[in-house]
Amino acid sequence: MLGFVMAKRIFLAFGVLLLVGIVGIAALAYRPAIATVPVPAFAPALVAEGEILAAGGYCATCHTVRGGAPFAGGRAMKTGFGTLYSTNITPDPETGIGGWSQAAFARALREGISRDGSQLFPALPFDHFTKLSDDDVAALYAYMMSRPAVKAPAKPNDLPFPLNIRALQAGWKLLFFKAGRFTADPAHNAQWNRGAYLTDALGHCGACHTPRNALGAEQPGKPYAGASIDGWIAPALTAANQAPIAWTTPELTAYLTTGVSLYHGTAAGPMSAVVHDGLAKLPPADQQAVTLYIESLGQGDSRAGAAAPVLAKALAVQPGKDADGRLFTAACGSCHHAGAAPNPLRPLIALNSAVTLDEPTNLIRLILYGIGAKQGAPGVVMPGLGGLSDADVARLAAVIRRTHSALPPWNDLAKKVAAVRADGPGES
Amino acid sequence: MFNPDKSAVAAPHPLSRRGFLVAAGAGGLAFGFAGLSRAAGDAAPPAATAPGFEPTLWFTVGADGIVTVNIIRAEMGQHVGTALARILAEELEADWAKVRIVHVDTDPKWGVMTTGGSWSVWQTWPLYSRAGAAGRIALIEGGARLLGTAPAACTARGGKVIAGGRSISYGDIVARGGLTRSFTPAELDKLPIKPVTERRLVGKPVAAMDIPDKTNGSAIYGIDAKVPGMVHARPVLPPTRYGAKVVSIDDAAAKAVKGYLQSFALDDPSGSVPGWVMVIATSTAAAIRAADLVKVAWSGGDGATVSEKTIQDRGRALIADPKAGGIVDTGGGDVEAALKTAKTRITATYTTASVLHFQLEPVNALAFEKDGVFEIHTGAQWQSLTLPVLAKALGRPETSIIMRTYRIGGGFGRRLNGDYAVPAALAAKALGKPVKMILTRADDVRFDSFRSPSVQTLRIGLDAQGRAVAMDHAASAGWPTQILAPGFLPKGTNGTPYDPFAINGADHWYAVGTQQVRAISNDVANSSFRPGWLRSVGPGWTNWAVESFIDEAAHAVQADPVAFRLAHLTGAGRNAGGGLTAVGGALRQAAVVRRAAELAGWGQKLPAGSGLGIATSFGQERDMPTWTACVAQVRVAPKTGEVTVEKLTLVVDAGTIVDPDSARAQVEGAALWGLSLALHEGTTFTNGQVADTNLDSYTPLRITDVPELVIEFTASDQPPVGLGEPATTVVAPAIANAIFAATGKRQRHLPIRPEAVLATV
Amino acid sequence: MTCFRINGREVSVDADDDTPLLWVIRDDIGLTGTKFGCGIGMCGACTVHVGGRATRSCSTRLADVEGAEVTTIEGLDPAGQHPVQKAWVGLQVPQCGYCQSGQIMQAVALINDFPAPSDADIDNVMAGNLCRCMTYVRIRAAIKAAAADMKGGATHV
Ligand code: FES
Ligand code: FES
Repeated sequence: MLGFVMAKRIFLAFGVLLLVGIVGIAALAYRPAIATVPVPAFAPALVAEGEILAAGGYCATCHTVRGGAPFAGGRAMKTGFGTLYSTNITPDPETGIGGWSQAAFARALREGISRDGSQLFPALPFDHFTKLSDDDVAALYAYMMSRPAVKAPAKPNDLPFPLNIRALQAGWKLLFFKAGRFTADPAHNAQWNRGAYLTDALGHCGACHTPRNALGAEQPGKPYAGASIDGWIAPALTAANQAPIAWTTPELTAYLTTGVSLYHGTAAGPMSAVVHDGLAKLPPADQQAVTLYIESLGQGDSRAGAAAPVLAKALAVQPGKDADGRLFTAACGSCHHAGAAPNPLRPLIALNSAVTLDEPTNLIRLILYGIGAKQGAPGVVMPGLGGLSDADVARLAAVIRRTHSALPPWNDLAKKVAAVRADGPGES
Repeated sequence: MFNPDKSAVAAPHPLSRRGFLVAAGAGGLAFGFAGLSRAAGDAAPPAATAPGFEPTLWFTVGADGIVTVNIIRAEMGQHVGTALARILAEELEADWAKVRIVHVDTDPKWGVMTTGGSWSVWQTWPLYSRAGAAGRIALIEGGARLLGTAPAACTARGGKVIAGGRSISYGDIVARGGLTRSFTPAELDKLPIKPVTERRLVGKPVAAMDIPDKTNGSAIYGIDAKVPGMVHARPVLPPTRYGAKVVSIDDAAAKAVKGYLQSFALDDPSGSVPGWVMVIATSTAAAIRAADLVKVAWSGGDGATVSEKTIQDRGRALIADPKAGGIVDTGGGDVEAALKTAKTRITATYTTASVLHFQLEPVNALAFEKDGVFEIHTGAQWQSLTLPVLAKALGRPETSIIMRTYRIGGGFGRRLNGDYAVPAALAAKALGKPVKMILTRADDVRFDSFRSPSVQTLRIGLDAQGRAVAMDHAASAGWPTQILAPGFLPKGTNGTPYDPFAINGADHWYAVGTQQVRAISNDVANSSFRPGWLRSVGPGWTNWAVESFIDEAAHAVQADPVAFRLAHLTGAGRNAGGGLTAVGGALRQAAVVRRAAELAGWGQKLPAGSGLGIATSFGQERDMPTWTACVAQVRVAPKTGEVTVEKLTLVVDAGTIVDPDSARAQVEGAALWGLSLALHEGTTFTNGQVADTNLDSYTPLRITDVPELVIEFTASDQPPVGLGEPATTVVAPAIANAIFAATGKRQRHLPIRPEAVLATV
Repeated sequence: MTCFRINGREVSVDADDDTPLLWVIRDDIGLTGTKFGCGIGMCGACTVHVGGRATRSCSTRLADVEGAEVTTIEGLDPAGQHPVQKAWVGLQVPQCGYCQSGQIMQAVALINDFPAPSDADIDNVMAGNLCRCMTYVRIRAAIKAAAADMKGGATHV
């Protein structure tokens, strides 16, 4: 899913690239095919290791359709230019990656080149996977190649010419892609560096949380500064994060491993899969490393003391008894009233960054589409209020912003609601 | 069969309860649908017992001693079956544990089937009391015979006939057979009813029989009806209530919906649903979705340019024309001349907005033909009014149509008008298979027979002592009865017919000297939508005007509003009361006013911005008075104009209280309805449609706005009268009067919105 | 095909992902205790439990309950004797009854979260459940009675 959401931006950038008239890219794009090989047997321990890594990279999230065979691909990713479908990465020789050597597999992950030498679209986050260690690539290879082979021909992408010319990807790579393994930062300890590796390389968190430049590449100077991605806003993971209460180690731990936190609500949208398909499946030591690293980005622990008054205020919010306040009370109050103490399953709206972000996108999405049982808090549903008109959803978002934060009102809410509605709920 | 015209002739006052009693009691026609008497809505029907004893139409006693009471009233929250069975069991001396109720389906033998106007207990009291008494007499005779003694030596108690130390149960008496006693209506009418001191069930606490099923999901409402092979329907409604004709139907987009079957326009000879298109699918969800995608083009449409203001302006113009409307008989006299003699004269105009029923269960119906009988499965309040409409729509005699009875998820008058049964029936006829139609909430609201907006102008003249010498009340609104049951319109003293349900309440019990009450039909309203009866009907707006205006009059002569009322509730002349149930007249109303004021601490000092207001009512109609008074305590927020009702104190004299707990529940609900109508509910008719169609913008009272409620019933041994509505009508004027006490400003429009309050303070 | 559990029973339903859970429960599964009032999540008549939390089924897409545990009024207690149901009968709460399945499901969830609910807790949490018959006074009283009863020990759904 993460790959999907960034795909749109990348394609946009690619169009720009074409316009500036770089020619001859096709020549740069040439890569030799790598011959197929008989796939060897793998040590079970290696496969098991690969399984955890595949989870940590959310491979299944993108490469599986709802209700379909794992890793068989076919999941649609809508972009502004057309629809792209994820590929079959089971070891089926005809339709999947059967017969790929480890070298071919590694080249695809780390350079975005398919076994046959063609360029892969950058929906595959090879700019992050390039940092993967040889051992981890080997484990991932072992895991993927020992999955049951599923015959599932690739769905043809629905992209217009010339975006459908794979060779043109090479130009973008030339400008923005730097291949190379992860290197530890000696200023930090091993646990921190482990966290950095899992976050930056395998987890490719920056794909969503780092802003991209006009040509769709992650801006090198602004890691994790937050970005707008395909109908959602991935908030900053740095100190610029706008959540009213800081992301402390306990909050990060709860959120990243269970999807549910006391002060920050639940993991919704694309972040839900990151937690439930990915981080939740990592060994505790790795989870702690990720938490440690992400905490260090925002330094939330240093601001832990500021939480109490913010919490008290959030618990005391009165939505008011005017028409909009009543709409809120009737539509939202039953579940979001927390009483005297916070309850992670009665999330305090005033503490949620959906309310404090500069754009209302996330809040509108949540109001319209809710959160399914597989997302957010597991087994629990937040129903969407899509039955309300755009104007009513706008009223709700406005009254929430007005009564649950001290921030200026959002503009053009009804129009933004209509836009999010037109976008649809996205893949579940 | 029910015939409105005949009924009107039979009764001096067309809708008097006597008229209904005559009709309801004159059952016994041979025609009926054997085996169909059990209503589908009774979740746990009594098991069939051995042939029982049936001394009257209204109940049977089985060989197992089970007493099954037939209920022709709809169960919509008033626990009516329990109350009515209680009345019968009281006289029957039945064992309450063995009493069961059955809500019956339509059958001509039941006479008129209607539930509304808070009439059920009032009307049934003498009927069921005597039916029970008849059963007791027959069982005592049978028991005496079996015990070998004389009836005079026996008493009946707890489902047994007792003679000295010996007894025999009702069940055994019935099982042994030989009971043949039956009673003619004339004989029944002569049977005496127990004195109050002998009552063992009536007035005692009882658990309502319909409640357990409503806590575990097993109560069956119309919306839950199902038969094998049914298809599901949702209509596409035309832009106006009347006059739109379907030009074309485009269902291309709907075809993509899984389960969508077809769409077609209805041809409705009854005129209930002109311009409707039915969208048919294999499931409710598919019908709902598909109907959203079916595009219909219409031509015409009456009232497409009419709005709330058009209607109200028309009402004002009609009121200004002294010849318009029917004059209610309030004793006659020249009101203009009398007004001229007054020292102080005041005039005020009050308005109310359109109000939706918004019963929580959207209207629905399941219809199909089986064995030559057309069955309609739905919750209905006035089957006798709906059957002729269905007959006309289907082109078949009423005798081949049966309405099956279901629980009603809220009536409030909406289901008096059974127009929603028509489209389901027509669709079932067209398709030749069972059709279950459910309206979405927005459909339901757009099809509602909502309460018409109203305009009323009141004038009063007071003498030097501050006593009223003349009062004139002119009210204009859409008239539900004119449209739906024109046979019920009595003639005014000026020969012009009027709708009692659009003016009742204006003929109050205050002594005001020469009094004129004029009811004026708003023709623009009538032709733009279908005005409906809404809980508490006419008094819902007339009492708002009367009780606000009496307050204005009191303040105009510097009188205390309670003292002013008491001074005019003299109980003299035409306000002395009498008859069967109005014994005591205005003096009983004075008593509840006095008591409510006392309970609420009338005269106490309240903080600035707070105030007490009083209002009183006699209920729905002068010959079934439910004496009610209410004191509202409010707080007005100076910055927002928001009105918080802190406490409502109500005192009700409803004669005998048959079931104390459900009586209280009815008053709680009615009072909160009154509060909801006062502050929270109201919509605007805009270009042929109401503006608010769901809870996003139509905002009935929720739990957060419920004030402290103090309710007291006056102990009484008078016959019971209705309770479902009177408390509704006193709350809005009490609140407006309290707002006046708090702010010194008068509110004359319902609902009272914060902006309106803010504009005055 | 969407699979989930309802009242302890495994079901798989073949309907569009977007079908409201309410209609799946009423039409496909045939449990009609859950009611349709507004269809836009503003009346609470359709309230069920999903994962033990009160949830408006009219606004819940079928796809969103994949793998979840759904409880309706029929499944709250095998004998209809949950302390909240008992309090509802004891205090004669229902009038027409149409909203009451939803009220009860919401009240059970309320007491689970707030074992000794304050008036503000009751008002805020129950504000999403409209009762057109306005049985609110008794709803408040019954919630308090049930909460007191449940503090006695037994744990319930
Ligand atoms: S029907 Fe679901 S909240 Fe009203
Ligand atoms: S009991 Fe009728 S809606 Fe609540």
